[in-house]
Amino acid sequence: MSNWKISRRATLKGLGASAVALPAVLRGEARAQGGRIVVGTWGGDYAKLLAKNIEDPLLKPKGFEVAQDQAGDAPRRSKMVAEKRLPRGTTDIQGLSAANMFEMNEAGVIETLDYSKLPNATNLLPQMKYPYGIGHIYSGKVVVYSPKLIAQAPTSFKDAFDPRHGNKMGIIDIQYQWVMAAASLAAGGKVTDFEPGKAVLMEAKKAGVRVYPTNEAFAQALKNEEIGIGIMWKARAVQWQNAGINVQSAAPSEGLPMYVSGFAIPKNAPNKEGGYAYMNAMLEKSAQENFAIDMGYNPTVSNATVAPDLNQRIGFTAEEKSRLIDLDYAYIAKNDAALKEWWDKVFKA
Amino acid sequence: MNAERRSPLSAAGLVGPATIYVALGLLLPLAILFRYSLNQFVPGKFMVDALTVENYVKFFTDLYYTAVLTRTVRIAFITTAICLLMGFPLAYVLARTRTRYKNILIMLVVLPLFVGNAVRAAGWMVAFGNKGVINASLMGTGAISTPLEIMFTETAVIIGITAVNLPFMVLTLQSVIEGIDRAVEEAAFNLGATPMQMAYRVLLPLAMPGVLAGTILTFILAMNAYATPVLLGGPRFQMMGPLVYGQFVQQNNWPFGGAIAFILMTATLLLTLAANWMVQQRYRAGGA
Repeated sequence: MSNWKISRRATLKGLGASAVALPAVLRGEARAQGGRIVVGTWGGDYAKLLAKNIEDPLLKPKGFEVAQDQAGDAPRRSKMVAEKRLPRGTTDIQGLSAANMFEMNEAGVIETLDYSKLPNATNLLPQMKYPYGIGHIYSGKVVVYSPKLIAQAPTSFKDAFDPRHGNKMGIIDIQYQWVMAAASLAAGGKVTDFEPGKAVLMEAKKAGVRVYPTNEAFAQALKNEEIGIGIMWKARAVQWQNAGINVQSAAPSEGLPMYVSGFAIPKNAPNKEGGYAYMNAMLEKSAQENFAIDMGYNPTVSNATVAPDLNQRIGFTAEEKSRLIDLDYAYIAKNDAALKEWWDKVFKA
Repeated sequence: MNAERRSPLSAAGLVGPATIYVALGLLLPLAILFRYSLNQFVPGKFMVDALTVENYVKFFTDLYYTAVLTRTVRIAFITTAICLLMGFPLAYVLARTRTRYKNILIMLVVLPLFVGNAVRAAGWMVAFGNKGVINASLMGTGAISTPLEIMFTETAVIIGITAVNLPFMVLTLQSVIEGIDRAVEEAAFNLGATPMQMAYRVLLPLAMPGVLAGTILTFILAMNAYATPVLLGGPRFQMMGPLVYGQFVQQNNWPFGGAIAFILMTATLLLTLAANWMVQQRYRAGGA
């Protein structure tokens, strides 16, 4: 009996000791590998896919612990600027559109990247290599239309905004920058100046163009045939086709304004090395290939292979690729407030 | 007992926690927001410390923003009036009914409040769409050939806000009407009043505190509506609530957002006080 008691005590003592020591050992090991990474990202599918394709398979096995700070990009940008004065910020890497990365760089809150710390960046497409961030996935603005409602297949943005479509034309409110860029191209202008596009949009308004608050509301309107034509990312058109909506896409002859979703590292990131590790993992071949499958956006690295049938739906031909247009982010950053004001007060009024 | 009553601490002790909670949770943030509204917005840098009234000037000198304010006030007035007109008879029936199902009837009025605004608006979206329940039924019966445009119109917003606010009006009125002695109504009838005369000369004046409370409550809710105008009004239909949100969350323009929030708050407060004052005046005039 007494023997048993002693052995129980010994067991408890032993268990206690290991309980104290084990996490310390694990933590120590994790710290040696890079520790905790906080990634600022949009919520929803994007956040889920970052976990599925990057964090779980590539970072966690290396001992990294990843926490997501999920919010829209505007609140996260406010936070980055508000944290500017702090020696240590709260995030290690932030997901931002190319336009937002430009803006944050102008605000002086993101790191100029040291590409030597990103071995996978050797495969990064040159257009996706920003001094202050990387392009993670991209798509291009195309004309989307319902073959049932629009008899003659459109070939250009000019067709998409043609007043003869009347109230079968749809526009997405939150996409105002790209709508204005596309309208400007339709008017024969460039993406460096949206002014010529305003007349095109006002004509469309007169004809009865419908404005939808979100991408989802636009998709719903396409589905119930309220509208038959508009402009959208090719990637989204793919998602909608998958959801059973009768929609086709056409690469506009004026060029394809690009949407680049990128990532940048805040200057005061507490774990900068972790930020670089995350960024490098995003550019991993497998991660990029899986994002193409799951999200319908194009890989930004040259070594990712996309199955031919998928590529036909999400990708762009060599000729189309040559017509991809990156927006003029300096122009947007400088004029965004004025453009949005015109959009709200004149176009939508 | 006496000792407790004399102690000033007991009153302070009772009022204290709520006061501190309100001060920390409401007044302090309001003070900070007001300070922000005097700052400047510089694109790229967001909020820059300043002491300027330019955000308020911008609001009142721009027809677009003043139109949003007048539209908000108009919608709030219309929905409050509809709530009062539809709510009063219902509240009267609920208050006077002697059925044993009264509790169930009251629960039915409260039931919509169990579901959030956004969810209810989603329900209206299903009903109002081009191929929604209303249009599908009307077109199916051959009453119309092209779908009615209900979604993204002022009508949709008015219907939506009225549906959200009606229970508040009914419940407030019902509790006040219940407190009015049935005997005074019978007295009016005995003296030869018609039902309409009784309602206007006896019931309404006695129910005035309930009318005022219900009106104020639904008016404030309508002035600050967010989910309904966004979901049913669409991107072209602007009211003050969504405007504040847009400035904060989409434009990152905290100073202007703060200024609009204060203008909305002040407008709501002034109109509420004015309504209260006018009713009080009538009361006094009527009583004299």
